[in-house]
Amino acid sequence: MFKKLPTLAGALLGAAVFTAAPAQAEYPDKPIEMTVLFGGTANTIAQLLSQLMTEELGDPVVPVSRPGGGGAVGYAFVQGTRPDGYNIVWNSNSINTSHHTGKIPFDYSAFEPIARVSVETPALAVSNDKGWSSLGEMAEDVKGMDGKLKVGISGKGSFTHLTSAALFDKMGISDKVTYIPYGKGKAPVELLGGRIDAAIQWPGQFKSYADSGKLNVLAVTGTERVDILPDVPTAAEQGVDVDITMWRGLAAPKGTPKDVIVTLDTAVKKATETEQFKDASTKLGFSPAYLGSEAFGEQIAKDDAFYGQLLQSLGMAN
Amino acid sequence: MDLFYQAAVASLTPAAIGAVGLGTLIGLIFGSIPGLTFTVALALALPITFGMDTVPAIGILLGTYIGGMTGGSVSAILLGIPGTPSSAATVLDGYPMTRQGRASIALGTAVIVSSIGGLFSLLVMIVSVNLVSKIAIQFGPAEIFALVLFGMSTICGLAGGSMLKGLIAGVLGLMIMTVGIDAIDGVNRMTFGTINMMQGVNLLVAMIGLFAVPYIIETFARHGRGETETNDTQSLRVELPSFGLLGRNSWLIARCSAIGTVIGAIPGAGGPIAAFLAYDNARRFSKKPERFGRGAIEGVIAPETANNAVTGGTLIPLLSLGIPGDPATAIVLAGLMVHGITPGPALFMQSEVQVYGIYIAVALAYVFILVLQLGGIRLFVHVLRIPPQLLSVVILVLCVVGAYSIRNSVFDIYTMAVIGVLAYALMRVGIPTTPIILGMVLGPTLENEFRTAMALSDGNWDIFYTSPVALLFFGLAALIVGLQTLSGLRLRKPRSFAETSNA
Repeated sequence: MFKKLPTLAGALLGAAVFTAAPAQAEYPDKPIEMTVLFGGTANTIAQLLSQLMTEELGDPVVPVSRPGGGGAVGYAFVQGTRPDGYNIVWNSNSINTSHHTGKIPFDYSAFEPIARVSVETPALAVSNDKGWSSLGEMAEDVKGMDGKLKVGISGKGSFTHLTSAALFDKMGISDKVTYIPYGKGKAPVELLGGRIDAAIQWPGQFKSYADSGKLNVLAVTGTERVDILPDVPTAAEQGVDVDITMWRGLAAPKGTPKDVIVTLDTAVKKATETEQFKDASTKLGFSPAYLGSEAFGEQIAKDDAFYGQLLQSLGMAN
Repeated sequence: MDLFYQAAVASLTPAAIGAVGLGTLIGLIFGSIPGLTFTVALALALPITFGMDTVPAIGILLGTYIGGMTGGSVSAILLGIPGTPSSAATVLDGYPMTRQGRASIALGTAVIVSSIGGLFSLLVMIVSVNLVSKIAIQFGPAEIFALVLFGMSTICGLAGGSMLKGLIAGVLGLMIMTVGIDAIDGVNRMTFGTINMMQGVNLLVAMIGLFAVPYIIETFARHGRGETETNDTQSLRVELPSFGLLGRNSWLIARCSAIGTVIGAIPGAGGPIAAFLAYDNARRFSKKPERFGRGAIEGVIAPETANNAVTGGTLIPLLSLGIPGDPATAIVLAGLMVHGITPGPALFMQSEVQVYGIYIAVALAYVFILVLQLGGIRLFVHVLRIPPQLLSVVILVLCVVGAYSIRNSVFDIYTMAVIGVLAYALMRVGIPTTPIILGMVLGPTLENEFRTAMALSDGNWDIFYTSPVALLFFGLAALIVGLQTLSGLRLRKPRSFAETSNA
């Protein structure tokens, strides 16, 4: 639903100015198109990042929204472009999940990792009247209760669903949970309305509710606490061994020259170090988490195995 | 009061006022050009606000949102092509008015009632945001499903000559929206193994196809047959609605403002359903319902009042619960968050000044709309002097650009073209296109809320009949269907071309 018109203007302008340039000019010598797969926070971070990268590179980096198919449409588009560094994709764990659920016929190895940019950590919230203040209390109560715990997620196979499945499995209550899929960030309200018992969503969605004391956020699922909810302990701190975060970063089609990747990697690094980026991260509820090309590639490969297995155990793998 | 004063000082600087004005202008322009929509305008405006101060940034976004909502009526009235899904209901009577040479009255009325509706909802919001958000929380999946089903019942009023054809159209709309990945289980449906089909049919793309493409084909067909101008340009003059006209309809305006505000406040319902319900309400309680669909001014007043009243209503769940009602408000939400305003219950405790600032920006936006639009009508009506075959070429280009720009997808251009040609074929056999849009708007919500409700109740149907709110809306829906069946038995309505092609 989100799109960038400056794209069009930028692309036309760029084309007009640079067609006369010699073919062997230094990269970049024309606008770089950054395909964005999702709306919401993903889109907002991408727009900010592209502005900051533009300042670093001198040539415009233009975010172009290609949503739909849970990321499949955008991945397929970028995967089919020429590997010259002028088409990059704002990717995330969805490259792993889209492949394993059969949405795209290729996997992460169709892309060269450029750099990881940010990390978002899901949070588990429960309604106040449950009286739970830790994961331990919750697990104990749930084990003894009749019926099932209703947990709000964003849709089957969504990242919040996978996180919930892994977390509740480690808490030993996975057979006492039933998932209620909601769209449009409505889970906090459903929790407030008393229709569900718990919800796993992004910290930004719970922030205001937690501040006003209407909901109780029990844990975040990463190894570090998040800036937006500094008082909320991690699951690991409470003895539940999970580490699931959603990373976002940039990738280019397989075969993109090494020096191009390095140029982009450096620009990302500088962009993530700016005050503006750090400032936005606290407001939007993500953590800047730069990781260079090689380390990023290793993480993607590691995650791919993890999500493949998780989806397999949920019966959702293709 | 002191906080309000602070907010007023911050929001009434030249930069802040200018920002609202600029936003409103952008919104009006994008909203009024067929093919371009205010969602595009908002996405365009968002990155510009990153480097700005909080107050002007919010001013631009809210101005664009509100301007776009109002601007959508311009092409709906002048060309019969709605600029936003919310203005699809305005086409029903607005376009016939244009063909009768009363375009400027329709446009003028639309602007004025839009502002009244918008300001009414703003007032409701200021006075009762806490109460309304408490009520909104009570609307769970079962209640929203019932409400949307009630919205579906308005197909009765849109079907024109034949109920059967209206239903066919409505079901077509529902079916189109099942293409793609379903939001609940993540299963591919009707994608035929292609990635492009997985993105589904976008509502805006389909809307452009449904309304603009048949207009273009029809115009060329007429031109080919050597038929001349159908619009009455001889009597084309700028004429604004009189106070008498507005006074006579003040009760209707009040009702539709209330409908819009209430529907807007319910998370997940949104503008189009409010506009269609308001239109149906106006027709049903009119002394001369047969005038509807043939250029009744009430048919413009009702949806335009309601769809702008939605703007204030939508701000209630957006600000107090952090839930965006539609893609456009989702972008507004992102803009607020970038500037450190996190919507939700804490907003009203922590950032009261900003909240007042938002109220002031909305009020300012409506002042700008009145000034810009009432001035703009003098220009807009001259569009009708352009020979239709030339205008069609321009619209065709805009539609292709517009369809592409929504998701930067070339496939969407083909989707628009295919839907457009099918829409023309349906029009030729007398199947109205408006119920298709209604089915498309309501379909995904109808299905997803139903399935979420069933998941909540663990497959038990009693979730639907144990909720009084849900029962109320089911009852209203049954009442409308019942009334329609009765009146259908009593008299057979005469058909007319205008009714079937635009209804």
